[in-house]
Amino acid sequence: MLELIMKILIYGTVVSGIWALTASGFSLIFGIARILNFAHGTFFVLSAYMSIVLIKNLGLNIFISYAIAVLFVGVLGVVVYKVMMSPIRHHEVMVIIVTLAFALLVEQVLLLLFGEHGRSVPSFVSGFTEIGGVLITYKRIVVFILAIAVIFLLEFFINRTRTGKMITAASQDIEAAMMVGMDVERLFVITMFVSAILAGFAGLLFAQVFAASPIFAVKSLIYAFAIVILGGLGSVRGSIIASFIVGYLITASITFLGARWAEFVMLVTIIGILVFRPTGLFGVEE
Amino acid sequence: MTMKLRDKRVVAVVFLLIISILAPLFLPDAFVYLLGMAYLFVIMVVSWDIIVGYTGQVNLGHTVFVGIGAYTTALLQVPSRFEGTFLHLLSTIPQPPIYISILFGGVAAAFVGFVIGIITLRLKGYYFALVTAVLPLVFIQFLYVWSDIFGGEEGFSVGLERAIAPGSVGKYYIALFLMVISVFIMYVIVRSSVGYKFRAIRDDEILAESVGIDTVKFKVLSFVTSSFFAGIAGAAIVHYRITVGPTLFDIPLMLMIILSGVIGGLGTLFGPVFGGFVIYLLKNWWLKGLMGISEVLPVNDEVILYIILIVLGLTAPQGIWRYASNYMKKYFEKES
Repeated sequence: MLELIMKILIYGTVVSGIWALTASGFSLIFGIARILNFAHGTFFVLSAYMSIVLIKNLGLNIFISYAIAVLFVGVLGVVVYKVMMSPIRHHEVMVIIVTLAFALLVEQVLLLLFGEHGRSVPSFVSGFTEIGGVLITYKRIVVFILAIAVIFLLEFFINRTRTGKMITAASQDIEAAMMVGMDVERLFVITMFVSAILAGFAGLLFAQVFAASPIFAVKSLIYAFAIVILGGLGSVRGSIIASFIVGYLITASITFLGARWAEFVMLVTIIGILVFRPTGLFGVEE
Repeated sequence: MTMKLRDKRVVAVVFLLIISILAPLFLPDAFVYLLGMAYLFVIMVVSWDIIVGYTGQVNLGHTVFVGIGAYTTALLQVPSRFEGTFLHLLSTIPQPPIYISILFGGVAAAFVGFVIGIITLRLKGYYFALVTAVLPLVFIQFLYVWSDIFGGEEGFSVGLERAIAPGSVGKYYIALFLMVISVFIMYVIVRSSVGYKFRAIRDDEILAESVGIDTVKFKVLSFVTSSFFAGIAGAAIVHYRITVGPTLFDIPLMLMIILSGVIGGLGTLFGPVFGGFVIYLLKNWWLKGLMGISEVLPVNDEVILYIILIVLGLTAPQGIWRYASNYMKKYFEKES
């Protein structure tokens, strides 16, 4: 039993780090632009598949491939924003529908190209160690460290850099931000770029630990929803903390109940939060 | 002498009705069958329009309510599915007549809609969209987890003797009847004072609240109505096709409903009727002929539908129907 709990703690921590990246990106663009980006999960899967193609088909170095893949989804994020969100931003219903359609489109194309089975990625480190009686690969440890490093970078970006502060300001009051002369549209583009990069990076790490699979275009989105609702819509710090709660919850439910219960547990979590604390842990009442 | 636009509409509806009543006399059996399915699909699209187009709440899990209606009637008709499971007591329930059990399908969907609505619709903003987006995945998982009862991926058959009618033509007329009745009831609702309240909430929720509309109550009412008809459509389809299975209520169907609504124009009721009809036939008849290209490009019928949806959403977010009807209005005004 103790071993089982250790396992949930350790594995859960790694997964949580990955979901923290995904959810904070989702939260970031919602916070500033009030856009629900249902295409967020596509960045997650596309970077993973992109890296697979670059490594396996073009024979590129793994780290160069990762850099290209992340940059690619970052640019894609900006394109998605410019083409699918910005022109119809005031048609909130349409933004949701169009981005969801895009996510499903990408999922279908990936299914047709790569098949429904998960694709593994060459791992960047091998070997394993033992923590508290639980075997854990170095890969997972590195993934966790990288995830945490990126989260700290994000915190630094938002709280310490000028652009990050502008993003925070615009998130708090967009009209006031415009009035003091901020180029809000530019901020949206930057945020979208950062948001896509975070999801892309999460996708790469996820593919390292597990495997890349087209269904994560939608599944990763569902996890992001649960986390963001728990953390409070629009709060990046809330999302990061909520990721750990959700990460442990998922790992525990998969360990005790089986993988097919994960979505069900997510839904119950979301409903539970909405019943008892609708604004989430750190949500701001509007 | 020129007719008023309203009269012309009535004439058009009557004319279309006469055509649809006569259609089976001239069309091949297989196509009659397909048209009947299209009518049931239209109910799903129009009921989706009630909550999304008229009330402005983005429901991405409409197919779940279709599915709840479907499995409710299927299990009521085949209670032996419960034998040997933890719910074996339910297997002793006597089977109701088919029409009653279809009605139960609608009621069950409406009930689930009520529970989810009460929780999510009291909050403003995006919670409803997020929760309903999760529902389809959970629903499908549910069917897999208890595959003893729900038949898992395969689903199960309700048996030929529980078909809605023995032949395609009989099924066609029942589907037509169900569609006309459902659309008529929904038309009456959106034209009533309740419908105006729905639209007030859609246009400005805070304003609606401040003029004394109980927004939560009417949002939930709208959602329950929408779910009820989705359930009816799902239940009717089970007795139309004699089988029930998760592929009928999957995410692709959701996207087809959305696409039909968007093409028809959200919040126009008759637009979605036309959109649902066209999209259903497009997907199940015309696109099948196109499938040769999937050998060359990573494209299938779903990919094409998604692309159409994205392009339409970007270029005509108001829907084609609205463009057409604006055009018609101008045309008639000039004439008179």
